[in-house]
Amino acid sequence: MRKRRILHSCIKILDRNRLNTLFMILGIVIGIAALSLTFSIGKGTEKQLMDNVKKQFNSNNIYIGAGRGQMGSGPQSQGPANTLKIDDLEAIMEQIPGIAMYDPVQWLPDKEVIAGNNSLTTMIKGHSAESEIIWNRSVQKGLFFSSAEEKAAARVALIGSKLATGLFGESDPVGQQFRIGNIPFTVKGVLENQGIDAHGFDMDMDVIIPITTMMKRVMNVDYIMSASLLVEDVDNMDEIVLSITDILRERHYLSDNETNDFSIMTPVEVKDIVEDMNKVFTLILPLITGVALLTGGVVIVLIMLMSVNRRRSEIGLRKAVGARQKDINFQFLMEASLVTLGGGLLGIALGILGTKILAGKMDYTFVIPWQNIVFGIFLPVLIGVAAGIIPAKKAARQDPVEALKN
Amino acid sequence: MMQFKNISKIYHKNGEQEVRALDKVDLLIEKGDFVAIVGASGSGKSTMMNILGMLDRPTSGDYYMDERKVNSYTDDELARIRNRTIGFVFQKFHLLPKTTAVENVELPLIYSDRKNIRGLGLKALEKVGLKDRLNHTPDELSGGQQQRVAIARALVNEPEIIMADEPTGNLDSSATSEILTIFQKLNSEGKTIIIITHEQDIAEKANRVIEIHDGRIIKDYTNKGV
Repeated sequence: MRKRRILHSCIKILDRNRLNTLFMILGIVIGIAALSLTFSIGKGTEKQLMDNVKKQFNSNNIYIGAGRGQMGSGPQSQGPANTLKIDDLEAIMEQIPGIAMYDPVQWLPDKEVIAGNNSLTTMIKGHSAESEIIWNRSVQKGLFFSSAEEKAAARVALIGSKLATGLFGESDPVGQQFRIGNIPFTVKGVLENQGIDAHGFDMDMDVIIPITTMMKRVMNVDYIMSASLLVEDVDNMDEIVLSITDILRERHYLSDNETNDFSIMTPVEVKDIVEDMNKVFTLILPLITGVALLTGGVVIVLIMLMSVNRRRSEIGLRKAVGARQKDINFQFLMEASLVTLGGGLLGIALGILGTKILAGKMDYTFVIPWQNIVFGIFLPVLIGVAAGIIPAKKAARQDPVEALKN
Repeated sequence: MMQFKNISKIYHKNGEQEVRALDKVDLLIEKGDFVAIVGASGSGKSTMMNILGMLDRPTSGDYYMDERKVNSYTDDELARIRNRTIGFVFQKFHLLPKTTAVENVELPLIYSDRKNIRGLGLKALEKVGLKDRLNHTPDELSGGQQQRVAIARALVNEPEIIMADEPTGNLDSSATSEILTIFQKLNSEGKTIIIITHEQDIAEKANRVIEIHDGRIIKDYTNKGV
């Protein structure tokens, strides 16, 4: 009952000293708002990236990239990337059980595509007929190219919806002709919409042609850039990755002291990489705002200390009329934590508002992570209690005789 | 009943010089008395009130209240006794700023187990004739009214003793007589009143006058005709 009355009295005092309260609250509001904003953006982009990755990368996919070095730094960064062949994949299929199918990939960025008077620059990708299943991307109009067409290196193409509009306007693109460079192609189908991929490319601008056509007719190469393998049982993933490594090393005549001239990624690693990329939002920026929050805490300590000095006679009076040391201590701790709790709640609200505005403007997923709510409440209260300890102790120890002296 | 037995209070000025604010004082104040403690400034009368009011502890000697030895009590126990049995009135009123009269009056009840805080607050304000000013803040009240609010605050927990340190020091003569009338009325209702003052005409209203000089009681007499 006494605690409740003191708490009630705290609220009144904070209300009566609004300017003081405002200054105390300000740092926390800004800190928490910034914290929840950056964290929301981080979680939002992470969710977006993961959704994209999931769309393009089944949980039972194994990804093989050509060239030394990790995917994160780009496959061609170290050494030649011309050693991965379709024969390698066929050898893998023959020797390792439990792989359902594979999709070799070759691509060319910034290639000119022309239809009539329309010309656009975009990404050309070579895939197998199986890619429809492996990449989980079908057509919304027309048909996917067939294995026969793949075998024959037919000049058929699947195009993204945005590219279709860009090349053919409103007319039905299926069956129409266009050129990649000088080579004429027929549109076989329009791809399902997929949006922006993890690298920032607009996948609705894609051109997908059979891998054979890509290698023989467009690029004139005998190697591929990467491949995706569909594993039948996810539990065998690690084992299969080891076997693939052995086969590829042997086939590429790598000696023991040479590093792999390819890299293998599983969905677990992809997820790790995405999370890594997002650390700046989910870890580093919140850490910086955490420092800002700490500054807010220090400001509260200073204002509270001034407040204790200013309210000496109030403290003396409270003691004279029966307040114990712990009552005074409790009062000042509560004043500090009420202020910070209020600041935290206000900060969360501002953060949500800011995230909503940003999400609307920048076209990304609007997420309010549960961490925001927890941090926005517990962190400020923690700061409040910590910031209140010294001033509260000082107030509690005040000698009533000194404090009440005329 | 409050009793001092050989009470001394020694301060150290600048860490060196010894100041005997109270020097081996023996004193007995009966329940229901109206006592004025008089003396020049620096005579030790404020120290006497602080020790009587349990805001301060003596350096040596024993203090009894109703046979209980106060010396041995902890700070928390003293706070509880202050809350229940002593009401303080100060020269500078010490009202909380921006806080209404009734909320100021209710302050001691925060630290008590009493129920119906608002009811008790209003009752105390009524006793000092300020029930119609309950929602006024101190800066909306005259000095005399502010001191009456402070007296209501001292009364609100129904203590046996009211201690007032120069309660009229900041007031004009008409407010002074109002305040003194209230004290006399409270005394007639059975409360022990202890007023510290350096004004002789206020001391004359008391039943008993104790004069202090250099930490010692030099005069202790009963006013005739009171």
